[in-house]
Amino acid sequence: MILLEDVAKFYNGRPALRGINAFVERGEFVFLTGASGAGKSTLLRILYRAELPDHGRVRVAGFDLATLKGRDVAQFRQRLGVVFQDFKLLRRRTVGENVSFVLSLLDVNEREQQRLSYLALKRLGLQHRINALPDELSGGEQQRVAIARALVRQPELILADEPTGNLDPERSHELMEFFKEINYQGTTVLVATHDRSLIASHPARTLTLERGTVVRDAWGIEA
Amino acid sequence: MGLVAVLLVAVATTWGGVLVLVRGWLADHVLAEGRTANVVATLNAGADGASLQQALRAAFPQATALLLPPAAVQQQLASWFPELAPVLAGLPEGSFPPLLQAEVPAAGEAEVARWLAGRPEVGLVQSSRAWQQRLAEVTGRLAVAGTAAAAVLLAGCVAVVLLVVRLLVLDHADEIGIMRLIGAHEGAIRAPYLACGVSFGVAGGALGSVLLAAMWAVVRSLLPGLPLAPVALLALPLAGALLGLVGAAIGLLSLPREP
Repeated sequence: MILLEDVAKFYNGRPALRGINAFVERGEFVFLTGASGAGKSTLLRILYRAELPDHGRVRVAGFDLATLKGRDVAQFRQRLGVVFQDFKLLRRRTVGENVSFVLSLLDVNEREQQRLSYLALKRLGLQHRINALPDELSGGEQQRVAIARALVRQPELILADEPTGNLDPERSHELMEFFKEINYQGTTVLVATHDRSLIASHPARTLTLERGTVVRDAWGIEA
Repeated sequence: MGLVAVLLVAVATTWGGVLVLVRGWLADHVLAEGRTANVVATLNAGADGASLQQALRAAFPQATALLLPPAAVQQQLASWFPELAPVLAGLPEGSFPPLLQAEVPAAGEAEVARWLAGRPEVGLVQSSRAWQQRLAEVTGRLAVAGTAAAAVLLAGCVAVVLLVVRLLVLDHADEIGIMRLIGAHEGAIRAPYLACGVSFGVAGGALGSVLLAAMWAVVRSLLPGLPLAPVALLALPLAGALLGLVGAAIGLLSLPREP
């Protein structure tokens, strides 16, 4: 599902990522961890092609991102579900519209968009806020809307950048159980987090980044 | 800003419509090549106008000749310039030379004018065709100036729509970025802004149609036969739509594409 070969990324000549090699199989659940500034978000941005690597090869869901043409990027991103650290909700649209928008890009008819959006929001306990605007929601609720949007089109791969950053421990635990459930159904999940306790309580394959390099690729977290 | 765009498109399309209508009217009613021409000869004092009239009819059977004696000329001038009528009425009849007015097919106008100019009874010959040519030159220059003004207005419309769309894009920059990240195609991102430009253009063009129809209703008594086809009224919103589309498309050039 994900192949990274000798990936490097530089900002103003300083390496943000270097020599990244990794392979994530279809259906895997992987944590990406490391301290702030280790390169987690940069790597995720490369994986959903918000940025291009300066060196190396990146393949995601069958797309070679280095050679992917600009006009094909949308088609690639429609195969992913991305949960952004800052949610990236459309402020002028309601919660329901935010979720159904991604379905409209897939030519799903309007009735089906509404039905699937409602179900996705219901799954995250937000069906009662379907007509609210994002600014009327708490940080945790916005986070859950972003997750509903990422899941509603049943993507092959979910990339989540600090998805529990705005959630209390109970909600964080619920969300991780939710990701696990989706993963059991066959979806590949990659969660970037700096929260070691989260990995400790939901052990899975963990890639640890330090100063832009993968220093550990193992199950769970080091004691 | 959007209102400015609509109003500017309305002014530009109305102006364009006025230009087309007036040019069409001039071409059909004033400058038409196939119209009959009038040749007017001023007769010398004591000339025998009746003989000249007969000679003209004999030489050019297709021509219609009308002899205006001094009294008729005096009367006609008074009717053309009513404010001068008292002055004209006070002048002796001999101050007005008799005129021979010939209406001839356009093709024969030059020949009739030459024939009259060669007659010893005739002092001065003037033809309507020569005046038409001078009028055509003047209206041609006015048309160039009018077209240039229309071009400036049209460019202004495009510039204003472009600015409006750029402002909208700036205002929605975050939203556009998010739409891209969640898989929206460029077409889906750009379509609302193009539609916005087109809607400004259509609204302006529709307002232009209303203005043009109102102006036509006011001036049609002054310019009898001035045409206003329904298709002209439909053309203005379409022209406005095109202007809006072009403006919006140029405005969207500022929108960065995917790397």
